[in-house]
Amino acid sequence: MDNVMVRAENVSMMFNLGIEKGFSLKQGFVELLDPKKRKQRKEKPNNDFWALQDVSFEIGRGEVVGLIGSNGAGKSTMLKIVAGVLKPTRGKVEAYGNICPMIELGAGFDMDLTARENVFLNGAVMGYSKKFIESKFDEIVAFSELQDFLEVPVRNFSSGMVARLAFSVATVVEPEILIVDEILSVGDIAFQAKSEEKMLSMINGGTTVLYVSHSTDSIKKLCDRVIWLDHGVVQGIGTSKEICDQYLKMVGI
Amino acid sequence: MQFVRNIRYSLKKYGYLLDQLVSRDFKVKYKRSILGVAWSLLYPLLTTGVMALVFSNIFRFTQPGVSFLAYLMTGLTYFNYFSEASNLAMSSVVANFSLINKVYIPKYIFPLSKCLFVGINFLLTLIPLYAVLLLTGTGVNWHHLLLPYSYLCLFLFTLGMGFLLSTIAVFMRDMFYIYGIVITLWTYLTPIMYDLAIIQNEVMQVAMKFNPMYQYINFGRMIILYNMTPSAESFGACALSSVLVLLLGTAVFRRNQDKFIYYI
Repeated sequence: MDNVMVRAENVSMMFNLGIEKGFSLKQGFVELLDPKKRKQRKEKPNNDFWALQDVSFEIGRGEVVGLIGSNGAGKSTMLKIVAGVLKPTRGKVEAYGNICPMIELGAGFDMDLTARENVFLNGAVMGYSKKFIESKFDEIVAFSELQDFLEVPVRNFSSGMVARLAFSVATVVEPEILIVDEILSVGDIAFQAKSEEKMLSMINGGTTVLYVSHSTDSIKKLCDRVIWLDHGVVQGIGTSKEICDQYLKMVGI
Repeated sequence: MQFVRNIRYSLKKYGYLLDQLVSRDFKVKYKRSILGVAWSLLYPLLTTGVMALVFSNIFRFTQPGVSFLAYLMTGLTYFNYFSEASNLAMSSVVANFSLINKVYIPKYIFPLSKCLFVGINFLLTLIPLYAVLLLTGTGVNWHHLLLPYSYLCLFLFTLGMGFLLSTIAVFMRDMFYIYGIVITLWTYLTPIMYDLAIIQNEVMQVAMKFNPMYQYINFGRMIILYNMTPSAESFGACALSSVLVLLLGTAVFRRNQDKFIYYI
């Protein structure tokens, strides 16, 4: 089947919650003096936490697939695995096509650089080529409406201005696979409407989308299919209406 | 072959990012300073001047026909590159966590970009070095064309150390402190301000030649100060040490890079 754009096979992801409390010298001394402490540590249940267990799904070309589930269900972990940021403990994910991860915007902004310099830096971080950024530069600037601040260090920007610039850089591509964590509406009211419209046009523009949201309304509106995750386990995959209704029933609303 | 193809693909895809990271460092370094890039030229001159002032009175430098200032500056040029680049490379992975956590970027790009960035600075410090060579009457000769060989070895060695150190630093932040002490010790164990001949203990003298930094500096001094072609052993020692450390560093980095994200 060559129409599959993303394929996840038995993906499991383990985090070790105890990593923060790894072995330290201080602990070593304490245990040396008091062997009981050492025994206690060894007997403690291990802190393995499975954020995802045996998750499998396929996303076809042009499909818009939603991911729902309560906080901590593993949605963001799944997005990060598809984006290649995390490597699954078991199983594998294959993505066929260039991915635009709109998970967190403005990755790699340097506050000391000007807006112009940051467009190029952030673009490079997103994997754009120099030629591409140069050709789209005017479009990015026009969308962000920051023409008058191009030579100002981003340090002096308001947080809304930074978000507008980041959003404009991120959405200038036409990716084959778009990964979105919530509708990212940023800036003031006018820009929020504009950014939401842009997101919708990207989602509806025929690209393959993997979309996380807590709003079942927007999921029902946008998605063809929905994957419901609960504590890292797939509870159901099906049409948006069917799965959303099941999910809402489970949550008790 | 597969490996070489991977590198070529990676360079093509991430070459522009590398370029951006290096130029970012460069832009940020001199922002808001009045002298700007001129500091890259002045700073090594001034620090060498201070050291020459201090150390020419402590050690009796007994090499007829060789200027102590030129001797010192040759050593410092090499060593300062290593110490600055390895330090920046060590913290580069930890410092870029926010990027690593958000988008997929090959992680080797961070130590590599730091080593390249300091490399540009290194090339700038060659200007004051040559100024000193001319002023002290040391002069320039045709053998200087061999110097880039030692620069390349120095770069590869530093890159290997950068990979190794940045990996350790991710799992063990103590490394930042430990390495600060190591590099101080390393500075004094490398004959930068003194001549290896003043070491009385013969075993010690031989042991000190196993220091790769000594090999690169010695290679440079052979050419710059003594107007000689370095020996075949010198060529070999430089290549061997740099390639070995680079292979070790790359192997350690590659084995561990997928685990970085849990420890940062």
